[in-house]
Amino acid sequence: MPEIRVTPLGAGQDVGRSCILVSIAGKNVMLDCGMHMGFNDDRRFPDFSYITQNGRLTDFLDCVIISHFHLDHCGALPYFSEMVGYDGPIYMTHPTQAICPILLEDYRKIAVDKKGEANFFTSQMIKDCMKKVVAVHLHQTVQVDDELEIKAYYAGHVLGAAMFQIKVGSESVVYTGDYNMTPDRHLGAAWIDKCRPNLLITESTYATTIRDSKRCRERDFLKKVHETVERGGKVLIPVFALGRAQELCILLETFWERMNLKVPIYFSTGLTEKANHYYKLFITWTNQKIRKTFVQRNMFEFKHIKAFDRAFADNPGPMVVFATPGMLHAGQSLQIFRKWAGNEKNMVIMPGYCVQGTVGHKILSGQRKLEMEGRQVLEVKMQVEYMSFSAHADAKGIMQLVGQAEPERVLLVHGEAKKMEFLRQKIEQEFRVSCYMPANGETVTLPTSPSIPVGISLGLLKREMAQGLLPEAKKPRLLHGTLVMKDSSFRLVSSEQALKELGLAEHQLRFTCRVHLQDTRKEQETALRVYSHLKSTLKDHCVQHLPDGSVTVESILIQAAAHSEDPGTKVLLVSWTYQDEELGSFLTALLKKGLPQAPS
Amino acid sequence: MDPECSRLLPALCAVLADPRQPVADDTCLEKLLDWFKKVTEAESSLLLLQENPCLVELLSHVLRPQDVSPRVLSFSLRLAGTFAAQEDCFQYLQQGDLLLGLFGEAGTLGWAAWNVPTVRSGWIQGLSSLAQHPSALHFLADSGAVDTVFSLQGDPSLFVASAASQLLVHILALSMHGEAVEHHSPQGSAWPTCAQKIVGHVEESLRSTAAPQVTQALNVLTTTFGRCHSPWTEVLWEQLSPLVACLLERDPIPAGHSLVDLLLSVARSPVFSSADCGLWETVAQTLSRLSPTQAGPLALGTLKLQHCPQALRTQAFGILLQPLACVLKATTQAPTSPGLLDGTLGGSMTVDALLSSKSACAGLLCQTLAQLEELHPLPHRPSPWPQASLLEAVVTILQLCDGSAAPGSSVGGRLCGTLAGCVRVQRAALDFLGTLSQGTSPQELVPQVFAVLLEYLESPDSSPTVLKKAFQATLGWLLSSPKTPGCSDFGPHIPLFLGELFPVLQKRLCSPCWEVRDSALEFFTNLSRHWGGQADFRQALFSSEAPTLTQQLLRDPESYVRASAVTAMAQLSSQGLHATLASPEHPEAEQGLLREFLNILSADSEGFPRRAVVQVFTQWLRDGHAEVARDTEQFVATVLQVVSQDLDWEVRVQGLELAQVFLTQKLGQPGHCPYTVALPEAPLPRLRPEVLRTLCQPWLLEFAFRALFDCDRPVAQKACNLLLFLRDKTAPYAGTQETGDSPHLDSMEAALQRWQAGEQGQPLGDPEPEAMLAVLRSLDLEGLQGRLAESSDHVEKSPQSLLQDMLATVDILEENEADCY
Repeated sequence: MPEIRVTPLGAGQDVGRSCILVSIAGKNVMLDCGMHMGFNDDRRFPDFSYITQNGRLTDFLDCVIISHFHLDHCGALPYFSEMVGYDGPIYMTHPTQAICPILLEDYRKIAVDKKGEANFFTSQMIKDCMKKVVAVHLHQTVQVDDELEIKAYYAGHVLGAAMFQIKVGSESVVYTGDYNMTPDRHLGAAWIDKCRPNLLITESTYATTIRDSKRCRERDFLKKVHETVERGGKVLIPVFALGRAQELCILLETFWERMNLKVPIYFSTGLTEKANHYYKLFITWTNQKIRKTFVQRNMFEFKHIKAFDRAFADNPGPMVVFATPGMLHAGQSLQIFRKWAGNEKNMVIMPGYCVQGTVGHKILSGQRKLEMEGRQVLEVKMQVEYMSFSAHADAKGIMQLVGQAEPERVLLVHGEAKKMEFLRQKIEQEFRVSCYMPANGETVTLPTSPSIPVGISLGLLKREMAQGLLPEAKKPRLLHGTLVMKDSSFRLVSSEQALKELGLAEHQLRFTCRVHLQDTRKEQETALRVYSHLKSTLKDHCVQHLPDGSVTVESILIQAAAHSEDPGTKVLLVSWTYQDEELGSFLTALLKKGLPQAPS
Repeated sequence: MDPECSRLLPALCAVLADPRQPVADDTCLEKLLDWFKKVTEAESSLLLLQENPCLVELLSHVLRPQDVSPRVLSFSLRLAGTFAAQEDCFQYLQQGDLLLGLFGEAGTLGWAAWNVPTVRSGWIQGLSSLAQHPSALHFLADSGAVDTVFSLQGDPSLFVASAASQLLVHILALSMHGEAVEHHSPQGSAWPTCAQKIVGHVEESLRSTAAPQVTQALNVLTTTFGRCHSPWTEVLWEQLSPLVACLLERDPIPAGHSLVDLLLSVARSPVFSSADCGLWETVAQTLSRLSPTQAGPLALGTLKLQHCPQALRTQAFGILLQPLACVLKATTQAPTSPGLLDGTLGGSMTVDALLSSKSACAGLLCQTLAQLEELHPLPHRPSPWPQASLLEAVVTILQLCDGSAAPGSSVGGRLCGTLAGCVRVQRAALDFLGTLSQGTSPQELVPQVFAVLLEYLESPDSSPTVLKKAFQATLGWLLSSPKTPGCSDFGPHIPLFLGELFPVLQKRLCSPCWEVRDSALEFFTNLSRHWGGQADFRQALFSSEAPTLTQQLLRDPESYVRASAVTAMAQLSSQGLHATLASPEHPEAEQGLLREFLNILSADSEGFPRRAVVQVFTQWLRDGHAEVARDTEQFVATVLQVVSQDLDWEVRVQGLELAQVFLTQKLGQPGHCPYTVALPEAPLPRLRPEVLRTLCQPWLLEFAFRALFDCDRPVAQKACNLLLFLRDKTAPYAGTQETGDSPHLDSMEAALQRWQAGEQGQPLGDPEPEAMLAVLRSLDLEGLQGRLAESSDHVEKSPQSLLQDMLATVDILEENEADCY
């Protein structure tokens, strides 16, 4: 039975470390290869041993597809390709290919910086891994091999994020990665055509949430930043080098321009230049507004945002600083935080999620006295704000996408079990399709009924037409022939042609059945009674009584014989070829009912 | 346990027991468990439970199923297992029937939560932890847990199913621990009940007609023979091998992959190294019965074994060679070289596999090539090794892939169609071709190898990954070519090849793909490193544009390429190959290069090229490169001044490395190895004042002192080591001159304090060397070194911090939950 199998190694009823194995018509594909930022040991990566036990990775997996550059979707990639040993192709969009190594490098630096970790991928490994990447364009059908093809669709969420359709023959799966169904300041909304996949694997981060307008959050953010700098305070915004940082930069830049503000804004990583380069390069991936205004002014050329120098942190007066890393767990952002934390005029705005074990997590959970190294205590007097700018589809958006793609079934990943359960019921009710939510390690097996194209020989078609039955495109027709499966192709030919092609001799196969009749007459008389009965019953068929005493109806042969032990019983031997199976069965049933009483 | 943690624990247990309080971060419970494991490794679990009754209360609480979330239940099961691993604590928990409630049939198993895989996983892991002592064995047998583990082997969750198999092996090993087994005694009633039960289950599964059950049994046995090497495993194999052999009589053979794993696991076990036990016969039979794709791993595994009958090795090697033999046979009209086809009969299955479909063909060839690649470097690889035939085969495969092969049969024609443009096979074949360079090849075949490599390097159809592998293979073949003494440096093929290679290299250095430009640069660097001194190479290089193009790539838009270009140019410069550019138009090419590198270091927007430059500079300093030797001090000062401003901490670390090399050159190697026995005190040579002045240059020490308080820990660590080295080396000079209360000293200490507080301004000025050394001695560098050795977030990662975080998250969870990137 053909089937699609899906096993999440990560993102099954959780958020973080996305890694989903899909097996479709014998092809094995890994969707995303993410890492978990909350762990410092092997648990940060998906447990690949479940794939390696199937033999060599490169032999087992046909390809890896990365949906976007966030580390929970691509962070384990260099580990997987350079340390675990996958040497096959990796597919992602062009912007993801450009930005992914920056974030991987950024993360590597933080990990090594914090701990001096030795057992971690190196810069060279990131580069070697990126060399295995095959970049794809939106809506371009890419042949991974002769049977497997993939196609990317726009997903919003972050620059270069894509949903992927994976297709083998007539079977297909769509994986959404993370997506956003409403356009934001720099990106458009996700879109997919009515591709009717056998299965839609969708993220479900905000499975139960209807999110408020992003405009409100943006207004709120600007208000808070503005108020702080107005009263002479400093604003720290910890970010990861690329992604949300650019969105917030556009926001502040536009606001500064409009309000004619002079307070300096700094970006600490020195990566603005490169980030902006990529945003310029991939302008077609941004939203319509940015594309339109690009001719007059490039949104990513910031007039107000300057590169940060470490000495600036001590400058008096207000300022806004974007600093990495985003969770205040090392480096520059943490250093600035320590300097500014004691002043209640200052503010730190956390624009994203922070894992446990980071200073960001601590301050977001309301802790205001932080223990630092050497038993020192840092009192946090500055204001702490949390603002989620993560761009995921909410419940309404997810339903909208399901409606757009019209899948046969839906599978939820990248969300919490409880919320998934709610959404699952909603999807099943509204769309009348089955919805699954496997946990990590659980395999969902879905039977499929693939349509297999079969060629019909001209001879067979001509024969059918000779019988006056012209084929009609929309009306299914029954056609008898022999199916020849050879060299991965299927052909329906006449049995004579099949015999000839395969060099086989013809054999006749006859079915035989015994029917016992209570009749004391001689065999010949019984046969005659059978003949008369059938002749009168089967008016449309050719019923004959042959000289040897047997009766035929078309190809069916009926002979009467005496019973060896009971002279009052006659045995009718009924035999027919497989072509007349229907008539043969009918006759047997008819004769079993007995013969009509002979007129005495 | 830390008293502060002990204080926080009751509140935390109360939070965990409260179903209205979801746990904040999905990693918290994992980390909490890690901590408990660490604590119980160090102290008595029983004492821990007695001193912290809240823990037992938590475990008792979870017995009320309606009140607990699956995550907390799973955590509690694992926690209970961790405590019960110590026998006295096990007894303690047993008294309260806690363990039976958690792990018994009447407990968790009947609850709705059992449907959640995390709970089943927690149940198994809990049992795995507690199964450490005889009491646990009785418990497992009496509670019916073993039967549940049997059924969990077929769990829909891979994680649970795999853990169940592991647990069965663990229980089997535990119950057999210390059992004296007679060598040939049948298992019968002599084995402990628990072991008998498990073995009985395995036997039953092996007899099953359902493939998944057979797979489960084979997996349990594979792990058993892999982990347990006591004599009882031999008895076990004797008992079970007939059942395993019976699997081979079925058609199709069930669980072929697992069967291969089992046979190899048994064959690798030291218990079986001397005995035969019919194993080799089974292996031979399996090799002949399995499909070529399934038999490949068994053949490779067999050939890797140290002790294995020669006939079996021949059979196994034949299986690995067969696909290549088929390729050769299908494509050659003339008889091929001996060695590959000899004795490899019955290849019809292989031909079928190769021709059945494109993916099957590519799959089998890739697998075979990778297996032969793995076998090639092994000391006990099959002998004679058919190097020539393998080369011929791999070259043919590459020709089939790029359409240049002339097939000699209909099968060859079909292979040609199947493999044309197949990137997967191209990659595998180029990898193997590269590996084959490490061996003695017949001279007449070498031109063919170079020809096919050149085809791939030239072909516009070669993908970047294929090109990278083609470059790697080419490098392998070039470096392994025999050098013959005489008028030319190399063998006869190389000069010709180099003449053709350089134009291709030039083309690739101009590729629109950064991956290709980078691979070409890496290749060029490696080649120059090894062959920079050879006349043939120099001649080919001088007549090419490669150095000029490389120099142009210093301004490539892609930072990876710029970094590789820096390394390549440095390599050329070190070997005098860069001087070719010092033509009349470029009279000061060398100086120009130094300037260009300095410019990259100060202006490049990305870290890779800047890091590459500092690495090159450090190497130049080590090697005494002419540019550096001209004025070493000035060179180091300039570099460090630029480096100190760098935002990339790795550049700063490498700057410190450069400083370390400079100091070492001035002062000699770092101090004695701490593990060597100290020799009797020898008077250390006195530092000359001018050396001291050089060492205590403000630019050097200011750089090091600032780095000491760097917010990036590796920088501070490196600076600390550097200053320790300097302090130790200048120690003999201490005390010879009193520094007193010099104003320099005060201002320096003030500057240091400000730097320590994270302020950047305030340069050091120009203090006396003595003041510098005095400050150096006044610092507690050892203490700092100890502190820096810890992870920068060790405070946030501490158990106390974890408990605080979990407690602090309780009320504000709704606000921030389920967000992500």
